Amino acid sequence: MNGRARGVAVAPLVLLLAAAAAPLVLVNYQLVFLAEILIWGLFALSFGLVYGFGGMLSFAQALYFGAGCYGFNLATYKYGLGTWGAIGAGLVAAVAFAIPTGYIATRVRQHHFLIVTVILSVLTSAVLASGHWRWIAGPYVTRSLPFVPTVPIGPWEFSFGSETFAFYFTAALVAVAVWLAARLTSSPFGTALRAIRDNESRAALVGLNVNLLRWLMFTFAAGIAGLAGTLYVLLARYTNLEFFEWTYSGKAAVAAIVGGASSLAGPFAGMAFYLVTAEYLSRYFQQFAILFGILLLVVLRFAPEGLYVAAARLARDAYARFGQRRLARGEER
Amino acid sequence: MELLPVLVLNGLVWGLIVALIALGLSIIFGLLDFVNVAHGDFFMVGAVLAWVLIAGTGNFWIAFAIVPVIGLILGSLIERGVLKPVENDASLSIVASFGLSLILQEGVRATYGATPKRILDPLGVTVPVFGFEYEVYRLFAAGVSVIAIAGFFLFLQRTKFGTWMRAVRQDREMAIAMGVPSDRIFMVTFGLGTAMAMLGGVVAAPLTSVEFRLGLDVLPLCFIAVIIGGLGNLPGTAAAAVLLSVLEGFITSIAEPTTARIISLVIMSVVLLVRPQGIFTRVTA
Repeated sequence: MNGRARGVAVAPLVLLLAAAAAPLVLVNYQLVFLAEILIWGLFALSFGLVYGFGGMLSFAQALYFGAGCYGFNLATYKYGLGTWGAIGAGLVAAVAFAIPTGYIATRVRQHHFLIVTVILSVLTSAVLASGHWRWIAGPYVTRSLPFVPTVPIGPWEFSFGSETFAFYFTAALVAVAVWLAARLTSSPFGTALRAIRDNESRAALVGLNVNLLRWLMFTFAAGIAGLAGTLYVLLARYTNLEFFEWTYSGKAAVAAIVGGASSLAGPFAGMAFYLVTAEYLSRYFQQFAILFGILLLVVLRFAPEGLYVAAARLARDAYARFGQRRLARGEER
Repeated sequence: MELLPVLVLNGLVWGLIVALIALGLSIIFGLLDFVNVAHGDFFMVGAVLAWVLIAGTGNFWIAFAIVPVIGLILGSLIERGVLKPVENDASLSIVASFGLSLILQEGVRATYGATPKRILDPLGVTVPVFGFEYEVYRLFAAGVSVIAIAGFFLFLQRTKFGTWMRAVRQDREMAIAMGVPSDRIFMVTFGLGTAMAMLGGVVAAPLTSVEFRLGLDVLPLCFIAVIIGGLGNLPGTAAAAVLLSVLEGFITSIAEPTTARIISLVIMSVVLLVRPQGIFTRVTA
């Protein structure tokens, strides 16, 4: 227990130090790539929260990523808000969209839930792509930022023109989101949700409001996806209709499950693995996604809890055995 | 407005094809207890194989005869190799089928290419219907779907294997206790479901442009039919598919196709909230 408690405190510190030192080691385009990994990892985490912690297999997370982009664009172009305001608007858009859609989806179970999330995504994409309702969809869905965003912090003004700042800013907001997710999942709320995931009728019998808790988690995860969306607009200065499509949620699902959806680090590990291999493989083999499909099947077969979680467990077991051996040697002396 | 009868007829033809595909999805759900996200991609693979076979042999009928058989074999192999190991966990099965969907789509893109291709009308004959020259092939496609659906229900009702399938659907443990070979049933069920999707693909191939993303359009349609008809309710699924497509045909005559699609999606959402068991399923228990 002691080792585990220490591990919990040490791991984030090491990661933060590594992030702080990254600009010293990496060149600019690598920094941007790392920031991109963090953003898509946050998106995968949104799926992990819903599926790994809440037991809801959702193909709707892309909707909230898209809503984040949309809210950012709306605030920027229509209301002329600055970067902070636009980030807030992106979050509000994602959460505001998740409240009704999540209400519909979380009322139904398992197979219906899956189908509802797919259909909600298809419905939204159909509305946005149809060319009607230009006042909703028109200028805010597919768009490139024509300027370099700047972020006022205190008396200073930083520009995304600097890759180092772009990386630090992204990493800081991702860290805050992960910290919030960690607080939430280790809180009584997180425990209650895991109870629902593992045995819903028993959880209902002990008096948990199953639908409400599922809905709250769904909305929180949507906020995380929305934040990822706004960070993506800031970094890439570009948004697209395809961000709303359910196959994008599928990518988050694959990354999170390959990494380990029931941990906070697993989705990031899975997405990092996906993006790094995609970056190198796509030079030689355009349809590298086949390999991810195969990898996914292999992981499901041999390590359904995910590679990161499986590796962490192996490492912990090895550490424990090592400790026992040392203990045994000590007793012999 | 004078297009109305043709649009409704088109809707009916398309609805029957979707009914065939959605039945495959529904039977897989009913027995293996998971939603097959790759089902639309099997439809797509059927259409692509049809194009390949026609390009190779120049004959539509060879493709029409061979592709469903390929589907049966491919589906059985996939059930054994991919789905069997995760069959006890519905979520893992769904995720596995998403992996399959990735493999099928990207596999087709890598070999067949990303550009949409068209297949010539294999009959090339038209008949006058409501004052329009209507392609006979569309009527043929509708007929094939009806025969396949009817054949499937006969198979379920009249053969030993069909009875076993119904038994496993009703009470899996009791059926296994009575000596029904459930492993073989699961394999054949997935094979049959896949064959139905791929037959739908061949039949629909001359009516649409064939490309690797085709499944992404069909899957939501099947989902809607399955939800409105009742998840696992086979006749309900078929009826819902036909009704919806005819309705979309009606709406298309006064509004845009997207509006029609959006209306079906909204209908489905309402059904889901008011009658989650589907409109054709009576509540038991």
